[in-house]
Amino acid sequence: MTRQDRANDPGRDSGDGSGNTAAGGAGSSRGSSPGSSSGGTSGSWYSVRSTWRSPAGGRELGLALLILAIAGVVGFHDPVFLTGVVWHDILVRCAPAIIVSCGVMIVVVLGDIDISVGSIMALLAALLGRTLSSHELQWSVWAGVPLVLLSGAMIGCVTGMLVTLGRVPSIIASLGMMTLLRGFATLAMGGKNIDGLPEAVVHASKTGWFGIPLGPWAALLVVLATYILLTRTALGVRIYATGSHPESAGNAGLPVYGLRIFAFCYAGFLTAVATVVDVPRLPKIESGIGSELELFVITSVVLSGVSISGGRGRLSGVVLAVVLLTLVRPVLTFLSVGEAGEKWTKAIHGLFILLAVVSDRFSATMDRRKKSR
Amino acid sequence: MTPPPVLRIERLGKRYGATLALRDVTLEVAVGEIHALCGENGAGKSTLIKILAGVVRPDSGSITVGGKPLRFGVVGESERAGIAVMHQQPTVFPDLDAVDNLFVGHEKTRAGGWWLDRSAMRREAEATLAALGESFPVDIPVGNLPLAQRQMTALARALLQNCRLLILDEPTASLSARETAALHAAIDKLRQRDVAVLYVSHRLDELFSIATSVTVLRDGAHVLTSPLGAIDRAGLIQAMVGRGAAEQIVDRARQGDVAPSHPTPGRPMLCVERLGRAPTFYDVTFSASQGEIVGMAGLIGAGRSEIARAIFGIDRYDSGSVVVDGRRLGGGSVREAVQAGMALVPEDRHCEGLLASLAIDENISLAQLPRLSRWGFVRRREERAVVGEQIGQLSIKLGAPSDPVHTLSGGNQQKVVLGRWLSTTPRILLLDEPTRGVDVGAKAQIHHWIRRLAGQGMAILLISSDLPELLSLCDRIVVLRQGRVAGEFRRDEATAAQVMARALPDNPLPGIDQGILP
Repeated sequence: MTRQDRANDPGRDSGDGSGNTAAGGAGSSRGSSPGSSSGGTSGSWYSVRSTWRSPAGGRELGLALLILAIAGVVGFHDPVFLTGVVWHDILVRCAPAIIVSCGVMIVVVLGDIDISVGSIMALLAALLGRTLSSHELQWSVWAGVPLVLLSGAMIGCVTGMLVTLGRVPSIIASLGMMTLLRGFATLAMGGKNIDGLPEAVVHASKTGWFGIPLGPWAALLVVLATYILLTRTALGVRIYATGSHPESAGNAGLPVYGLRIFAFCYAGFLTAVATVVDVPRLPKIESGIGSELELFVITSVVLSGVSISGGRGRLSGVVLAVVLLTLVRPVLTFLSVGEAGEKWTKAIHGLFILLAVVSDRFSATMDRRKKSR
Repeated sequence: MTPPPVLRIERLGKRYGATLALRDVTLEVAVGEIHALCGENGAGKSTLIKILAGVVRPDSGSITVGGKPLRFGVVGESERAGIAVMHQQPTVFPDLDAVDNLFVGHEKTRAGGWWLDRSAMRREAEATLAALGESFPVDIPVGNLPLAQRQMTALARALLQNCRLLILDEPTASLSARETAALHAAIDKLRQRDVAVLYVSHRLDELFSIATSVTVLRDGAHVLTSPLGAIDRAGLIQAMVGRGAAEQIVDRARQGDVAPSHPTPGRPMLCVERLGRAPTFYDVTFSASQGEIVGMAGLIGAGRSEIARAIFGIDRYDSGSVVVDGRRLGGGSVREAVQAGMALVPEDRHCEGLLASLAIDENISLAQLPRLSRWGFVRRREERAVVGEQIGQLSIKLGAPSDPVHTLSGGNQQKVVLGRWLSTTPRILLLDEPTRGVDVGAKAQIHHWIRRLAGQGMAILLISSDLPELLSLCDRIVVLRQGRVAGEFRRDEATAAQVMARALPDNPLPGIDQGILP
């Protein structure tokens, strides 16, 4: 039996167990503890720091290799794919999804789900247009943007309270919010499209600084902040703990409801951030903005190996998964002539998610086999 | 002068429906004491622990911890009061590593409380584990660690959070001998740090070696509290099962107003030979003849329900055979078992037996819908006849047969499950805890029914944790201990103390220590 087998095999001692009984009892003193009798050294499996808070350390590696392989193959087929222009475009496209995923991932780690982010984005885009546009209220950016950010956080807070205080399952609560907010967005748009956002906002969103628009900068900042939150703060540990075993978390005195409301709030806030940095890039604001954003984000979260039942998952995987999914459409454009290829985008996203789930099942089954042997 | 007790429980009472889970239980645990808590299944130990953990709210009585009254039914309040509960499967956070498990909720931080001080926490975690005599890697998810180390994680957390009262609920039930010794050594270290320990275990030898005093509960009531030096194993068992031998005969005469169901049982109907399903039961052999009631005694976790499920084909078995009336079953098929004339009334009627949202009549006719229907449509008139017969026979008290089944009382719900299977006229009836949680009247009726069915020639396997019930009803009693047959008694030789003595485990799981798990 290998060391790893044994570690995976709770409750079973090594085969060399001598015949001594429990009667050794209270006073018995031992040199070394039995559980670690095989010694505290090296075993490569233990020293893999990266297994911390991760189901299988290999998921990120797999995603990264897949991205590289795709880039390699498509680049070989058409070298234009490897130029800066293409990757600049991919970067800009994946920025809002990365920002929103950081929030939704925390919601999922806590064992909940939020499918309302697309509608939140639509409503906030309408709010942004209504307040800032030169044909509308013409507010200052310093008033309109904070209002949008605050509104995003508030909307998330409402969903969070429905889920915790109202005890509505999160999928139902956010489904309700999704439909409601989409309706509000349509109402707020008043049946027309909005353009004429202030030049500064449009410039930041389209051009940005050092050749990179505001979106990727914001994504970088949000990823860093979320990473620190999850791995370096007490809040992060408590989030993982609560997702891992909600009942124990309650018994340990953790504010379970507070944490869950915070997660929805954070997801709403980040959706607002994504709205502010990305929407002004578009020629005009329509009520259909953000449709299916939630599906894209949840697909990424699942693909990254975040456990849908909570407690496990890493941000690095989420970021890579978003990049991979964003790649699908441009890759198809490059590989085929015209638009025929793009029609496959959805199907391939779906294939990815099923592959991820099946591979999870498969590795879980292998684990169990190993244990029962 | 003795210091005030860490835990004082006074006149604690709790009722679940018809059952009194706890009546006026009073108990004190002092500083540095390891206090054992004993009792049969259903004696009230679990209820007491749940109340202490803040999961269940008692109906009456009071608890003080360290002189301060404990607020009931508030999750988290118990931990604040310094109570730590450790179950057989410790409630750790499986995805977090040991360091986070030890500190979550009380993290060490720098820079104004925001930045985690991982290295300080790691040092202290290792020191705490070392104080308990353990050293294992603290930076992998504890879900990947063996059970013994997860328990040590939970103990270390209790120690770090300044726990004053540690409650251990059968902590050694699935540990090997060496792990048990390590756990006991760790518990003793906690005791030396002035932690009071309440220790629940069925392993009496273990209690004698580690505990300082013992309290016995029976049927929810306090029976005795004594220093362990002043009582022996036999005395403890006697206190757990209660009635002395003479009283039992009286009991039996009173309850068994009908003589043994069949003085000479007919031909063997159910023969179970060397049945095994690792890791729950091994080498189980027994038989039941026509008209015979065979009881199956044992503690929770002894594998009784699992054996019934395997016989009935719900679970597969690895080895052995089930022979019904001379014909060997293939195993793993409920259909086959039903066709052979078997019926199972499962243990948990809410999860496995009843379809709570369906009507009473639908629940009864469920098992024989194929017979009652033509072209896929149920023939209502015949269904009504079958249902009416069972309702009458079992005297189920109801408004209308079309009422939802959850409107019935526990006893009547149990009768509905019985009725469903009786209407299929089985030859072999497997009953798993048929009277748990039902009131006295319904219990007597169910007993009466079991006897009558046996009188009609049915072979009955009765699994029960209620020893008097087994002793009064059964022709033979098979005792299981840790998945193995530990003894078999004829009706006239069985006493509660003997059965209990066989059912109690005294050594750590043999399958683990001797490495004979297949």
